[in-house]
Amino acid sequence: MSGRVIVITSGKGGVGKTTASANIGTALAKLGNKVVMIDTDLGLRNLDLLLGLENRIVYTIVDVVEERCKLKQALVKDKKNPNLCLLAAAQTRDKSAVTEEQLKEICEKLKEDYDYILVDCPAGIEQGFQNAVAGATEAIVVTTPEMSAVRDADRIIGLLEAKEEIESYRLLLNRVRPNLIKSKDMMSVEDVVEILSADLIGIIPEDTGIITSTNKGEPIVNDEKSLAGRAYTNVAKRILGEEVEFINLEEETSVVAKVKKFFKGLMVKEK
Amino acid sequence: MDKGYVENGFIVDLSNARKTSEIIYELSRILDIPEAQNKQVCLKLGNVALTQTELTSIKALVESMNSEIEFISTNAPETIDSAKSLNIEISELENIVEAPDFEMTTSISPEVENALDKIFGDNDFEKEKEAEKEVLEIAEEMVTEEDEATLELKKESEKLPTLYLKKTIRSGQSITSDGNLVIVGDVNPGSEIIAKGDITVWGILGGIAHAGNEGNTQARIRALKMNAIQLRIADIFARRPDGANTPFVQKTNEFTPEEARIFRKNIIINKLTEN
Repeated sequence: MSGRVIVITSGKGGVGKTTASANIGTALAKLGNKVVMIDTDLGLRNLDLLLGLENRIVYTIVDVVEERCKLKQALVKDKKNPNLCLLAAAQTRDKSAVTEEQLKEICEKLKEDYDYILVDCPAGIEQGFQNAVAGATEAIVVTTPEMSAVRDADRIIGLLEAKEEIESYRLLLNRVRPNLIKSKDMMSVEDVVEILSADLIGIIPEDTGIITSTNKGEPIVNDEKSLAGRAYTNVAKRILGEEVEFINLEEETSVVAKVKKFFKGLMVKEK
Repeated sequence: MDKGYVENGFIVDLSNARKTSEIIYELSRILDIPEAQNKQVCLKLGNVALTQTELTSIKALVESMNSEIEFISTNAPETIDSAKSLNIEISELENIVEAPDFEMTTSISPEVENALDKIFGDNDFEKEKEAEKEVLEIAEEMVTEEDEATLELKKESEKLPTLYLKKTIRSGQSITSDGNLVIVGDVNPGSEIIAKGDITVWGILGGIAHAGNEGNTQARIRALKMNAIQLRIADIFARRPDGANTPFVQKTNEFTPEEARIFRKNIIINKLTEN
């Protein structure tokens, strides 16, 4: 078996890299793939929290690198899905505890047993980013429709293009609010795609359910009613090569909008 | 089993019964005798513990044989509760001493026993007694477990130096002590505190704590509020239950001081009360 190594990165912090990693990973595993997630955010790890696995971590990636345990021992199995596991970051160390070479080696080893290796990248473009990207051949660039995030994504895409190992990268547009786009208070999906001239792999609507799911340690893809959850499942399907249409957020999000539209139609007829 | 006729009825002594099925068998045998019918029955149950369901079946059996339970005599708290909830009178038997004795019938055929077990459940009083005994043993062991070696280990932490810190230990921080460790303040999730001896946290312990990291199995971890993601003592691990995995409920004003230690190769947490 030779798995695909995908790094999830953004440059800017707080745009939803870790949330995206947790959800895409869980969705891929739910679709029957063997998935391992690597948290490379040493010293500021969060992925374990989002997956609700914090209390199960005994060994971390630093323990693997410093040979205190075997790689297999450090993989924490998910509570629900046996296809999914996590290689956690060390919380009490910093980015210098692992080198690019070591991460590359770990990815190569994991490729043998897993279909997908998702690398959750830290914010920034320093050593942490360089480490995370080292073993990957594909990238998902997470951004939000804000100038600052788009600017940073642009910087990241530039860095990714300079890396020979990265064969492809795609854009994940997070926290989209159709109402704001409509009132021209937010950049539209088209605007972002045009600025970055990159392919889209998904559009995730802003969803308050994300906050609850983060606090509970339960990825939102497990909630089939959630729009964001469905959007993440679609991203996973697109990674698998399926062609899935983008959810039309404008129609789905606002019942009020639908009602307004209906009445508008009536009024036009009356005129 | 003993049974004796009294004025308006008779006593059935069932205090030696080992199982519910034995009680049922014995009762149905006795109540089948023509002289026993349409009489009041007094059941002497001794220490036999019966659940409400079991006592209900016994009552129903007695009534189906055209008799009635006058009262029961019992010392088992569970039976007393069951009887109260069924409105069965409980009384002492001492006043009725005139009752003649009968020899106890010994054997039930295995088939009958099995059949009765199926209906009334395999409620083996002997087994229950043994389980109870084991619980008592464990309880006793928890109080007095010392042999020489453990006493030695226990004293070890008293000889060690102690690192005293008066601050909050935050996520990502790691404190290691060659001796004991006392922290006055909270230990937040994402941090780890490690000590060769005991660990005492005067605050909320929310991170990872590892006491006796060089192998002292008698090391202890104490905290005003025990909320640790993981506890480790020597080479034994325990993790917080998944249900408690909600980060935002950790801050609290309710403190119950607790102490963790190794017992039978597991980590147990005891509440520290005044005694």
